[in-house]
Amino acid sequence: MSERPVIGQRLKEYQVREVERILGACTQCGKCYEVCPMAQYSKAPSKDSKATVGGVLAVLRGEKGTPEALGWIGVCTRSGVCVPACPENVDPKMMMRLARMTALGGRGQPKQIEVKEDRDYFDRVRAFAKLQLTDEELKDWT
Amino acid sequence: MSEKVTFWYGCNVLRHGDIIHACLDILRAVGYEASPVGGPDYCCGTVRDANQMTAGGMATRTVGKLNDRGARVVAWCPSCHSHMHDFMEKGNDRQFDMTYMVELLYENRQTPLLKHKVPMKVMLHKHIGFNELVPVNRMMPELLGMIPGIEVVDGGYTAPGYMCASFAALPKALEDIHASTMRAAKACGAEAVVTTFHQCYREIVGLDAARAIDVYNYIHLIARSMGLPYEDEYKAWKRAGDGATQMIGAERIAKVGVEFYERAVLPELKKRPNLR
Repeated sequence: MSERPVIGQRLKEYQVREVERILGACTQCGKCYEVCPMAQYSKAPSKDSKATVGGVLAVLRGEKGTPEALGWIGVCTRSGVCVPACPENVDPKMMMRLARMTALGGRGQPKQIEVKEDRDYFDRVRAFAKLQLTDEELKDWT
Repeated sequence: MSEKVTFWYGCNVLRHGDIIHACLDILRAVGYEASPVGGPDYCCGTVRDANQMTAGGMATRTVGKLNDRGARVVAWCPSCHSHMHDFMEKGNDRQFDMTYMVELLYENRQTPLLKHKVPMKVMLHKHIGFNELVPVNRMMPELLGMIPGIEVVDGGYTAPGYMCASFAALPKALEDIHASTMRAAKACGAEAVVTTFHQCYREIVGLDAARAIDVYNYIHLIARSMGLPYEDEYKAWKRAGDGATQMIGAERIAKVGVEFYERAVLPELKKRPNLR
C-alpha cells in the first residue's frame, strides 16, 4: 500500500528551501529596510537597517526577533520595492513573507507577533454573498 | 468557437455581486465562455499566514479543483493571483494556464465594445506592489482611456503595499492613503477615483460615502460604456449607513441572520474614513 502524502507537505518543504536560500544569500546590507515605505509605520522604527535585517533573519532561523525586526515584519504589506533594491537577489519580499508566517507561529515556531484575528472573516464573506447572489448562483459558483 | 475559461473571482469580491456579474458579462462579450468559481471553498489560503498547515490544505484543495475544471483560469483577485505564483503552485501541480483579468482585457482591448460615453475625469488609485507581477499601473490608464468620454489624469500618488485591505490592521497608514488619495485627486482635478482591485474599492468607497469624491471600480466604468446594466448595491448601502438596513430589507437580512447582520455586516457599511 502506498503511503498517503501529507497535505501541504510540499509547500512546507518549499518554504524550508526558501528559508535556507535566503539565509545563505542575505549579506544584511540593509538596503531592503532603507527603501521600505512601510518602515515608518513600525511600532519600533530603527535607524540601524543592518541590525533590523539581522533580526528578521533570526526569526527565520526560529530565534527570537528584536523589537525592531518584529515591528517591521508586522507592517509589511508587500510593496515589493525591496526586491530591485537588493544587490544579492535575495527577494526580500519573500523573506518578509516567510518571516511573517514564522513570527505568527504559522510554521511551527512560537508566536512572536500578534495580529488581530477576524473571527467573522469567512462568515462575513458568505453573508454578503447571500445578500447579493441568487440561491442558484450560490450553489453553482461558491 | 469561444474559449472556455474558469473565472476564479476569489473570496472578498462576494461583497460586490455587481462586479462578479459585470465581469461575466464582459468576458462573454469579449468571446469567452466563463464559468465562475470562488468563495471560501476556493480560498487560496493567503489569509492563513498564521497557520501554514491550514493554508497548505486550502492551496491543495483549490489547485485540485481548478485542475479538475480543465480550462484556463482568469483570476480576479490580486491576492489569489500572487499567492498562486508565490506559494500555491510551488507545493502543488498546477495543470492550468492562468491570467489576470486586467491582462485579459488588455489583450482584447481592440474588441470594439466600449460604445457609450462616460463623461468623467478620473484618477487611477495605484499601489506599488503587484505591478511587478502584472503591470496594472500601465495597463489600467490605457484601458480606462479607451472609454469614450473618460479623461484619465494622474495625481502623482502611488500608495504603498499591494492593495488597501492589507492596511486594515494599520489604521494610521490607511488614513495616510486616504488623505494622500484625496490630495492627489484635488491636485489633478479628478472628479472620481477609480480602483483596480475590489479590496481597494471596499476601503476607498468610504470616501464616496463621506461625500469627499466619487469612487468606482474600473469594471463599473467598462460595464457602463458597454451598456451593461448593473446595480452597485455595496456603494448604495455604504452611502446609506444605518439606512442600509431598510434598503437591504428584512427578507434578505433574515438569510444571514439579524444578529450576525447587526454585529458583523452593518458596522462595515457604517464605517467612514477618518479624513484629515
